[in-house]
Amino acid sequence: MSITKNTAFYLLLLVSILSISACKNMPPVTSGIGSEQIASGQKYNKHLQVHNDELSTQLHISDIKSRKTNDLLEINLGLTSTYKKSLQLQYQFQWFDQQGFAIEAGKSPWQPLELHGMQTIAVSDVAPTTQVATFSLYVRQVPEKFFKFN
Amino acid sequence: MNKLILAVSVSLTLVALSGCTNKSVVRYGDAAAVETNDINFGSTDLQTVAGQMTDSLLVSPVVGTLTANTRPIMFVESIKNKTSEHIDTESITDSISTKLLRSGKFRFVDMGRVEAARQQLEFQQNSGMVDTSKAMQFGKQVGAQYMLYGNLASIVKSNKDKSDVYYKFTLRLMDLESGLVEWADETEIRKTKEKEFVSW
Repeated sequence: MSITKNTAFYLLLLVSILSISACKNMPPVTSGIGSEQIASGQKYNKHLQVHNDELSTQLHISDIKSRKTNDLLEINLGLTSTYKKSLQLQYQFQWFDQQGFAIEAGKSPWQPLELHGMQTIAVSDVAPTTQVATFSLYVRQVPEKFFKFN
Repeated sequence: MNKLILAVSVSLTLVALSGCTNKSVVRYGDAAAVETNDINFGSTDLQTVAGQMTDSLLVSPVVGTLTANTRPIMFVESIKNKTSEHIDTESITDSISTKLLRSGKFRFVDMGRVEAARQQLEFQQNSGMVDTSKAMQFGKQVGAQYMLYGNLASIVKSNKDKSDVYYKFTLRLMDLESGLVEWADETEIRKTKEKEFVSW
């Protein structure tokens, strides 16, 4: 049995891909962009955190608005995609009181969100208790599938 | 040389396959993470539904009026499961009532523990073991003013390559005295599952 160099190369490549992909059925979640703790009325631009430069070119957080409704802090912000394909995202709010202590720490779930190409959507959330004074937001990306055979 | 490459390929494949099948690792995960193991109703759906419904209720103008000078007393009737799955809807109502209670806007009576409370009061009143001057009295409980109830429905469609499930959760708040529905909202979730040969 003889194998040419080319065949051998492709065989090795295929095996390597299979060996990596076989165990990785769940798409990993990457780092993202977000804000530091900001209080109601503060400009988020000054507190923006970018941990993923690629995502920051595809996704923009529009001005974050906040107000008190029934004594609870209500947040509204726009997520704008500047990418032509859909983005699979997850976002999470975190809440802090006047002294900066986390409120309901670890209980704020990551929310899945699909943002279509060039779409802008409004995301809103409400503080869990009336003690909340500041909040932070983080948006991260679930990368698209690498291969898809249908 | 060729035989060597073939041998390496075969052994790599074996390692790759055996590595995936024989290894089981236990680790703690993030309870707040998005869970996409399968298409059935999962923890992320529960968190989404409970979170959105609570937020919607707490910021509604009606609730602003109701909770202006008082903390209304509510009780949660069951959430009817109209889906084709077995779903523990009590878990959804537990999450919603806990969030509402922790917001400091509402108070709750728990209909699931009435019998236990009665037994305790009977023990205090009739067992002869509790100082009668300090025993809790019958007939002093406060009745609920509002009832929270709802439905969880689903539409499931699938073909051989793709499954799609749509959940609709409806929640309503009824004034028990007047029978008026003071507030209602619904939230939707769509999940799809597609077959993939290789995913990254």
